[in-house]
Amino acid sequence: MAPNPRKRKVVTRESPVDRVAEDEEELADGLLEGILSHSEDESEDSQAEDGDSESIEGLSDEEDLEDSEAEVDEELQSDEIPSDGEEDIRQQMRNLKTTDDPLRRKTAKLSHEQDFEADGELESRPEEENLRRNYTVTTDANGNPRYIYKEIEPVYDSDESDAPEATNTIGNIPLSYYEAYPHIGYDINGKKIMRPAKGEALDALLDSIDIPKGWTGLTDPATGKPLELTEEELDVLKKVTRNEIPEEGYDPYPEMVHYFSGKLEIMPLSAAPEPKRRFVPSKHEAKRVMKIVKAIREGRIQPYKAPAEEEEDEEEERQVYDIWADEVPRPEHNMHIAAPKLPPPGYDQSYHPPPEYLPDKDEKAAWEEADEEDREREYLPRDHEALRKVPGYERFVKEKFERCLDLYLAPRVRRNKLNIDPESLLPKLPDPDELKPFPTTCAAIFRGQEGRVRSVSIDPRGIFVASGGDDGYVRIWEILTGRQVWNVKVSDDDNVDTVRWRPGKDSAILAAAAGENIYLIVPFAILSPDVEQASRDLLDAGWGYAASKPSTTANGAAPKEPAARWSRPEKRLEDKGVLVQTTVRSTVKVINWHRKGEYFATVSPRGQSSAVAIHTLSKHLTQLPFRRLRGLAQSAQFHPSKAIFFVATRNSIRSYDLAKQELVKILQPGAKWISSFDVHPGGDNLIVGTYDKRLLWHDLDLSTTPYKTLRYHQEAIRAVAFHHGGLPLFADASDDGSLQIFHGKVVGDLMENATIVPLKVLRGHQVRSRLGVMDVDWHPREPWCVSAGADGTCRLWN
Amino acid sequence: MAKMKKKGTTGAAKNYITRTRAVKRLQISLPDFRRLCIFKGIYPREPRNKKKVSKGSTAATTFYYTKDIQYLLHEPLLNKFREHKAVAKKIGRALGRGEVGDAARLEKTHMPKIKLDHIIKERYPTFIDALRDLDDALSMLFLFASLPSTEHVPSKTIALCQRLCLEFEHYVIASHSLRRSFLSIKGIYYQATIQGQDILWLVPYRFVQRTGGDIDFRIMGTFVEFYTTLVGFVNFRLYTSIGLVYPPKFNAKSDELGGELDAFQLEGRGVGSDDGQATNGDTAKAVISAEAQAEVDKVAALAEPERQEEVSTALTRTEEDENTDAIDTFEPTAKDADVLPQPQASSAEMASLFAPFTFYLSRETPRAPLEFILKAFGCKRVGWDSTLGDGAFTSDESDPTITHQIIDRPALPSTSQPDPAESSEPYATTNGDGTALKAQWPRSTMPGRTYVQPQWVWDCINQAKLLRPDLYAPGAELPPHLSPWVKPKKGEYDPNVPLEQQEIEGEAEAFEEEEGVDDDEEEAEVEDASDTEMIESNGTNGVAAIEDRDNPVEAGEGMDVAGSASESESESEDEEAGVGGDDWEGFESDAESDVSEGEAARRQHQRELEAEATGKALEPTIKTTRDRNAEVRKKAEKKRKQEEEERERQKMMLSRRKRKLLKRIEYGEDKRDKEAENLRKKRRRIEKAKTAANAT
Repeated sequence: MAPNPRKRKVVTRESPVDRVAEDEEELADGLLEGILSHSEDESEDSQAEDGDSESIEGLSDEEDLEDSEAEVDEELQSDEIPSDGEEDIRQQMRNLKTTDDPLRRKTAKLSHEQDFEADGELESRPEEENLRRNYTVTTDANGNPRYIYKEIEPVYDSDESDAPEATNTIGNIPLSYYEAYPHIGYDINGKKIMRPAKGEALDALLDSIDIPKGWTGLTDPATGKPLELTEEELDVLKKVTRNEIPEEGYDPYPEMVHYFSGKLEIMPLSAAPEPKRRFVPSKHEAKRVMKIVKAIREGRIQPYKAPAEEEEDEEEERQVYDIWADEVPRPEHNMHIAAPKLPPPGYDQSYHPPPEYLPDKDEKAAWEEADEEDREREYLPRDHEALRKVPGYERFVKEKFERCLDLYLAPRVRRNKLNIDPESLLPKLPDPDELKPFPTTCAAIFRGQEGRVRSVSIDPRGIFVASGGDDGYVRIWEILTGRQVWNVKVSDDDNVDTVRWRPGKDSAILAAAAGENIYLIVPFAILSPDVEQASRDLLDAGWGYAASKPSTTANGAAPKEPAARWSRPEKRLEDKGVLVQTTVRSTVKVINWHRKGEYFATVSPRGQSSAVAIHTLSKHLTQLPFRRLRGLAQSAQFHPSKAIFFVATRNSIRSYDLAKQELVKILQPGAKWISSFDVHPGGDNLIVGTYDKRLLWHDLDLSTTPYKTLRYHQEAIRAVAFHHGGLPLFADASDDGSLQIFHGKVVGDLMENATIVPLKVLRGHQVRSRLGVMDVDWHPREPWCVSAGADGTCRLWN
Repeated sequence: MAKMKKKGTTGAAKNYITRTRAVKRLQISLPDFRRLCIFKGIYPREPRNKKKVSKGSTAATTFYYTKDIQYLLHEPLLNKFREHKAVAKKIGRALGRGEVGDAARLEKTHMPKIKLDHIIKERYPTFIDALRDLDDALSMLFLFASLPSTEHVPSKTIALCQRLCLEFEHYVIASHSLRRSFLSIKGIYYQATIQGQDILWLVPYRFVQRTGGDIDFRIMGTFVEFYTTLVGFVNFRLYTSIGLVYPPKFNAKSDELGGELDAFQLEGRGVGSDDGQATNGDTAKAVISAEAQAEVDKVAALAEPERQEEVSTALTRTEEDENTDAIDTFEPTAKDADVLPQPQASSAEMASLFAPFTFYLSRETPRAPLEFILKAFGCKRVGWDSTLGDGAFTSDESDPTITHQIIDRPALPSTSQPDPAESSEPYATTNGDGTALKAQWPRSTMPGRTYVQPQWVWDCINQAKLLRPDLYAPGAELPPHLSPWVKPKKGEYDPNVPLEQQEIEGEAEAFEEEEGVDDDEEEAEVEDASDTEMIESNGTNGVAAIEDRDNPVEAGEGMDVAGSASESESESEDEEAGVGGDDWEGFESDAESDVSEGEAARRQHQRELEAEATGKALEPTIKTTRDRNAEVRKKAEKKRKQEEEERERQKMMLSRRKRKLLKRIEYGEDKRDKEAENLRKKRRRIEKAKTAANAT
């Protein structure tokens, strides 16, 4: 209200009083129409004055209170006295008044002049000038001053009642803006409309006055005047409080108006006859009822549930009966796996085991060191000499817990226990004694060559061994003694790559290849005369053809280079027995004879189209069977009985029918580089040696892939050979310096596979610059074989 | 064209389901699922092809059989779990509000009670099935019966376990179905044969169990809940099968006093053929102690009227039983007929193994197992020290009826042993006035009484005969206690059989040689060392191994032999070098060894020639034992080598698959052989040490 905080405080303290006063004022206003209104304004003023005076006096709160009370008293007293206000004030009062109640007019009359007098003379006000003293001061019975006011003359002749009500012109702004001022706005004339009086002065008055109808005790915020309710409004309120409908004449329950059925139609809306169910009792309901009845009878529904018994006894809780009274065994289900039982304890779990079960120091340390999961058993055997000394087992609960976990967490798998006698798995092999004879020891060593021995061959009668090596010599040895019986140096700069005896016992012809030359030799010095003659005849038979041949070619327009030139070697060689020299286009590495001795095949791997050549001995004729060969030719062989020719390239073996001139079969040994192969005397099986350390057995009837792959060598296999004299043996020679002898039995029965049994490793050759055994050949009858080594020796094994 | 089949819609992909999916399908929590699995006995599976099941991923996953899970969907327990969850929620809410009374009421009245009866019936459709699965149940219950009560293990559960265990033991006693028992370091194993099923269970020694670590008692509790139900039904069936009333009468007071087995009183149904009662009646005359007498009288009075009623029927029935029960022995009339094997009817003998005796258990012996075993094998009168609990036949150690006393105390030095005169004296007084006697071991022994250690009882029942008690006398060194379940198998070590019978050829000699070399070396080193060091170096325990170090001659020989041994070694090395590195060994080696033998003969001959030339008499080469040993060993080695070679040769011809199979089989065999060899070696060493100790 006032800027001074202290003052404000004072005012707040006073406020209840003020309010009451105000209320009274309002009340008075309500009752006393315009006459009192003036005095209200006055009182308002006086209040403001009070505040001022206090601020000047600086009195304590108590005093203020007292003061104000005193003032009110005075006011009240002064109220008694009607004061005659001035014209304008009266006018104002009249303006403010909304209602007029002449009855009460006399009782409450105030004039602001009086107020001012009562308040005291200390203050002078702007209104004061306008005011005159309209009272006289006397002393009452108590000795207090008493003001006696003059009689107020009511002016009835004025026609102000017709005038429009004095309205506050402040417009639509909250009245709270005027809270700090004594006035609440301005009237039409620009005069202040003073705040209606309030204060305790009216309290007493209030007591004596009946509360008028419509009085609410509230202030209309729009006007600042007390809010009064009209008769109608009160009526509405009363109805609301009584839960009645406020609207007059509203009937909550009006008569029903039948919109559809009220009017009787002549024609029905639906022509359907009335259904039967309208006339018969519901079956469904009956059913439901019966259900409930049944349930009640059976005791499923209990109309009243007995309260649960207090403490059920342990015994009663655990009800046991013969659950297996009517047991029916369940058929075994395949997917059901019963939990495995724990194994019974062994000797080492005993509290007093035999002493050998106790762990020694190392075992104990190992056990303790091992991680708990790695231990083979979870306990360490211990020995206690008496039962009383046995301690508790620490892991007992843990083990049981783990068992529980196993029971419900571990996946169960049915495993077939291996209950096979290992002996039954092993194949029945022939006894080593039954496999005999086979070569086991080195019987003779043929020494005397320089450099590697590249090739070795035993003559068909089984007397001589021919060998050829890096020194360019072809040598012939006696097989039993190892004595060198004959030799010839066929070439100075080329190695003798291969030597092969011609099959057939009646003659003794040796074919040897050195470089591009193939020499056919009859070592007559060591032969009996008839054999020598037979051999010479065989070789000489072709000369006629050889003579005719050049002439035919000479006649031809384009003299094609012949596949080979057959000629007589130089004199030196011819004297020694080298009778024929055939020169082919490139270095010959392999010679193989046809079984009849009429043909022989040579292979010169670098020869490209002329790699494989077939030579006819009796005609001195050379043919090149393949115009173009796929892959690098490695070896070639005739079939032992049929007109089939095998050619091995680097990683496959092809067989050709010579009669029909067509490819029969391609074998795929799966090797990287075939070194050599040999055909079984039966003709249906093949062994292949490879540089990638494998020895492969092919069954031609079975498949194009190997029947067996044997890998027993550490180094490349150089040569393989079957025994051609009827013994089921074959051998291979390897760069690791060893020969391996196998038993390879082929039975005539097609249903039975070949039996291959490893027999013997023959060691003896030294490995020189990573080359070991270069060639191997079998004796035609005996279980002997001869090997050629890179160490410059040949060895006979028997 | 047929409709293309989508991948993963049939076969293994449908047959198996991961755990997560199973839980989702059942709409329960994982712990509930776990419980359900435990109750229903559902376990994960290992699909044959994991990739097919888990759509190509090979991550470690648990798979369940889909049909198992589908089956679970209809499980009534599932609803119980849900109800339980709902109530638990309510209780939680009530507790959260601080309404403890409400919570208690909810728990008491609304908590659903889980009954497992139907599951028992479902999992074990026949009684035999239940018996087959009783191993784990019994072991678990016996363990829980000995656990202290904690928050996870309520005392109610423990009490129930104890009761069930004792009831089962009572059945075993009454039916004499206990067969074997074994004292192991883990506990005591028992095996009973009930209706043809062998049931093996393990009872821990009575110590406080260590329960720390990662043991989840909730899981074990779930198992126990199931097992208690199972064993309850099994007990009922067992009791009724031998005509007893189940549950037996339980005497809480006796139980409190530590009566254990005695807290139960078996009642016959109909026929008063209760064993316990009958025996008590028999022994009544012999009983001296007033308490026991009174008890017996009481029991007899109880039993009497029943018996009189039924006596006639009982008689006829037993006679019939005799006629029908036993298997008749079939004797072949002609000699050429085949003899069919018949089961031995020794169970009756076994059942009365201890029948004629009265046992007394000293206070240091474990009463419960001894009482159980003795009673199960026919002993009716077992007394024990009163500190061991209630229910003894007699708690008076000087009772003259006692025939055997089981004692587990060290023997006192001989000086403190009382002389016979003294010991006989108190006995005399017994008869005289019957005052309290002081005949207490070891101060004095009662004449006519056998004192044995507890192991005697176990060894007796395992061997089904009464053993010599002197081997088990107090303080004596006990013979090893052997497990009765180990069957001797070929190739495995058997401690019962003498060493010579089971070792492979040449093994002993090899050992001797090796030891000999060791000894020599040791002797050189440890000539002056103390005995203890010797023992250590020998690696034996217990008995001192004293070597013949005071025998210089032998030592010298030993040196010789060592030399020869090294020679032979180098020879064998040569052989190996000759053959080594082969995939298969040929026959070279034996040829060479032949050569070496030939060489030896030649040398011998040479020596003879030289001797002849010089005119000296040829000293006969002394074949020492070691030489002989070496010879034998070499021969055996050679033979083994040959066999090995032959085998290798055979193996080469096998297909790869078979070779792998063989390898696996051989791995197991090798392991077994190695183990056996190790044990034999140890035993040999121990025996040698023992003989050496005896010699000195």
